[in-house]
Amino acid sequence: MSSKITVAGVRGNVQKLLEQSETKKRNFLETVELQIGLKNYDSQRDKRFSGTIKLPKVPRPNMTICVFGDALDVDRAKSVGVDAMSVEDLKKLNKNKKLIKKLAKKYNAFIASEALIKQVPRLLGPQLSKAGKFPTPVSHNEDLHTKVNDVRSTVKFQLKKVLCMAVAVGHVEMTEDELTTQIMMAANFLVSLLKKHWQNIGSLVIKSTMGPPFRLY
Amino acid sequence: MAKRKRAALLPTNIALLQNLVRRDPPSYKEEFLLQYQHYESIRDIYMNSPQTENSEEFGDLVGFVAQVASCYPKETANFPDELSKLILDHHQHLDEDLREKLIQSMVLLKNKGVITPEKLIATLFPILLITGSKQLRTQIYSNIVTIVKGANTGSKAQKLNKSVQALLFNVLSTGESSGLWATKLTRELWRRGIWDDSRTVEIMAQATLHGEAKIAISGVRFFLGADKEREEANAEDSDSDASAEIGALKHRLQINKNSRKRGRKAESAMNKLLKKRKGNGGVSATYLNFSALHLLRDPQGFADQLFTNLCKYRYDLEQKIQIMNLVSRMIGTHKLTVLGIYSHFLKYLTPKQKDVTQIMAAAAQASHDLVPPDAITPMIRKIADEFVSDGVSAEVCSAGINTIREILARNPLAIEAPLLQDLTAYKGSKAKAVVMAARSLVSLYREVAPEMLARKDRGKEASMAMSADAKAGTSSRLQYGIEKGQTGIEGLELLAKWKADQVQEEDDEKAWEVDSDSDDDSDDSESGWINIEDDKEYNISDSEDEEELDDEAKAAKAQAAADAAAEAQNIMATKILTPADFAKLEELKAQAGFDKLMGKKLTNEDEVDARGLIGPVKYKQLREERIAQAQEGREGREKFGSRKGKRDAPHSTTNREKARKKNFMMTIHKKDVQGKAKRSLIEKKRLLRAHIDKQKKKGF
Repeated sequence: MSSKITVAGVRGNVQKLLEQSETKKRNFLETVELQIGLKNYDSQRDKRFSGTIKLPKVPRPNMTICVFGDALDVDRAKSVGVDAMSVEDLKKLNKNKKLIKKLAKKYNAFIASEALIKQVPRLLGPQLSKAGKFPTPVSHNEDLHTKVNDVRSTVKFQLKKVLCMAVAVGHVEMTEDELTTQIMMAANFLVSLLKKHWQNIGSLVIKSTMGPPFRLY
Repeated sequence: MAKRKRAALLPTNIALLQNLVRRDPPSYKEEFLLQYQHYESIRDIYMNSPQTENSEEFGDLVGFVAQVASCYPKETANFPDELSKLILDHHQHLDEDLREKLIQSMVLLKNKGVITPEKLIATLFPILLITGSKQLRTQIYSNIVTIVKGANTGSKAQKLNKSVQALLFNVLSTGESSGLWATKLTRELWRRGIWDDSRTVEIMAQATLHGEAKIAISGVRFFLGADKEREEANAEDSDSDASAEIGALKHRLQINKNSRKRGRKAESAMNKLLKKRKGNGGVSATYLNFSALHLLRDPQGFADQLFTNLCKYRYDLEQKIQIMNLVSRMIGTHKLTVLGIYSHFLKYLTPKQKDVTQIMAAAAQASHDLVPPDAITPMIRKIADEFVSDGVSAEVCSAGINTIREILARNPLAIEAPLLQDLTAYKGSKAKAVVMAARSLVSLYREVAPEMLARKDRGKEASMAMSADAKAGTSSRLQYGIEKGQTGIEGLELLAKWKADQVQEEDDEKAWEVDSDSDDDSDDSESGWINIEDDKEYNISDSEDEEELDDEAKAAKAQAAADAAAEAQNIMATKILTPADFAKLEELKAQAGFDKLMGKKLTNEDEVDARGLIGPVKYKQLREERIAQAQEGREGREKFGSRKGKRDAPHSTTNREKARKKNFMMTIHKKDVQGKAKRSLIEKKRLLRAHIDKQKKKGF
């Protein structure tokens, strides 16, 4: 492919992607994903990287969130319209692995109030962090609604056992501009994480859930 | 005539027959069948009583049949099976040479493609486990390694690998001590880079959880040291490869006809080789050497199980430490939750414990930011109580503080401010190692949580940042559950500002042409100069002006900061950062001193060096050491002392020397000598006085 990536190129690909999803409407909201292939990466010498970035728009509006909270936070969660669990609910799980696994599967992310979060590992064991869904803390003087939005719009880059990874950056209902912005932010951030920057990038591909992939780089 | 003679010889001369058969199989079929019948009859004898004598003849026969088996596949269809049966059933009783011959023949059959490598390994491996003969074991072991290696050159032989790995799995699951061979084999193949997938790692994980201590420890050792081993083996290989190639190139250059073109060619080839060696050892771009720790399928379950084993089984201290080390590495790298281990460490954390530094290192490795602080706090308190006090020796104290620092670098919330301040007070200690340890603790908290330090320890930058935070109403306070890691591009505001300052449009094409070896200073000599033009008026502000502007400036400053952040966001959203941008960013960051921020680094995967925990402690030397050191300093210098009277050049005898050596009897009657005794008291006094004066003038 081309040895460089331009804003116009990204925009063009985004257009094509949106067109494709337009021609064959699906029954659900397709997510747009940025897939990254790395190269020249020595996982022993270079540290494995991990980083999170908050994107301007929420890439997955349907993301389910659950709040572990004390009485106040449970009430607040209900007013925001998010599922909530109190300490008693958590204790009811009784460290049952299957139930906790089920809980971890049911939600995409968790938020816990500050007073409670320290007990989370004791109450729920390793299952949550194993699934990479360790809760984010929220204090009483923070607005829960903005926090929930924060969590929803934050994406995480983490290298696992293979040299490729993917993050959700948006969905097909977004406008072309928004999507371009999201993609560029994610790409820029990822490249900044890598030691040799663009020399570490093998490929960048965008793809909607059911659509064909478009190679950016 | 001659032919008939040869034919007559054939029944006894196997070597000749072999040669002939290979040249023309169909015409010597009868002779072969004769030999094969012979073989079959002897084989039956062996099957019944393996200790039969005359094994040499049988060995030769087997070798012959193996050599020519590929020529008569139909007739020899059962041959491999018979061989393997013979070896498997009677390997204890067979003669040593014959055994070796049988195995060689099997390997030969594999090389000729008569049997598959899987079958060969399936025959050999059980013998490896049960045989009592060392010679046989080594032969089989090396054979298996070469077979797997040979099968995996070029592309990986997945089928063979899978079947062998299944064999090893079975051996380990039987629960006998023969499982040690499985670990040995796996380790060897991992070291050579032949096996590098997660299945291999799973074998070792199973070995590590094995009930037998020996096997378990060999598994533990694998996880702790295998990667280093592999890297070393790799480095050796690539070094020897490259140097051999270079040698060959040079040799060719000497022998072949010298022409300018050939010389150029050779030079470029040499450069290429050297470059390859300098780079990543010639590995391909997609090659990925994950360490064994990373490849585990279920790290949490593995660590849990290993920890229960550690508590359940009897191990000696050394083994316990190794297991603790592994569990803690696992917890650190994968951020696992094994809450029991922290209280387990408590038992061992006393200065009198043997090898306590290794246990401390393990304790440090086991902490990470997702562990609830109240699990780690008791450990820290115990270390502080046991190790850090005025009553203990310097190295104990420094080891304690250093360990606490390592733990806190991974989980800064696990300590309360009063205890931290107590510990940092040791920066006034007399022992250097303790001072260094305490200072490192201070510098850690300056970056992570300066508000927990005593006021005077915070340092300028941290206090300024704190007061800025207080004014802005934001708090950068540490919070449990927020994972460390980058959240934005560091220093992007700087780049934004620089870009805004930059007037000329930068060439987009050029910005991408940054190749790896352009490490020389990117800023050319001109940029070091500031062009001052005469006709422009330069605004040099007076102090009075500044006072007037003070309030406005503050507001403007806040505005500017917000603008910069917004601008950074903007850049990130609208532009693709080019390699040149990143280079500039690095430069700007270095100027602004960004690299000092240590708290953002991911430390949880690091290994803690047990020897480094004690710090630089100076022991009192033994007498021999002191003498040796003094001697070392004296080497190559002349003796100290006056140079007076020492003439360097060779010379004749001086008058003074002559006078000294003169026979006393010749001088005894001289006035100088006799006069001394005859001096009057006054004269003696005078002379003494004069001497004293003279000495004083000389400066004595």
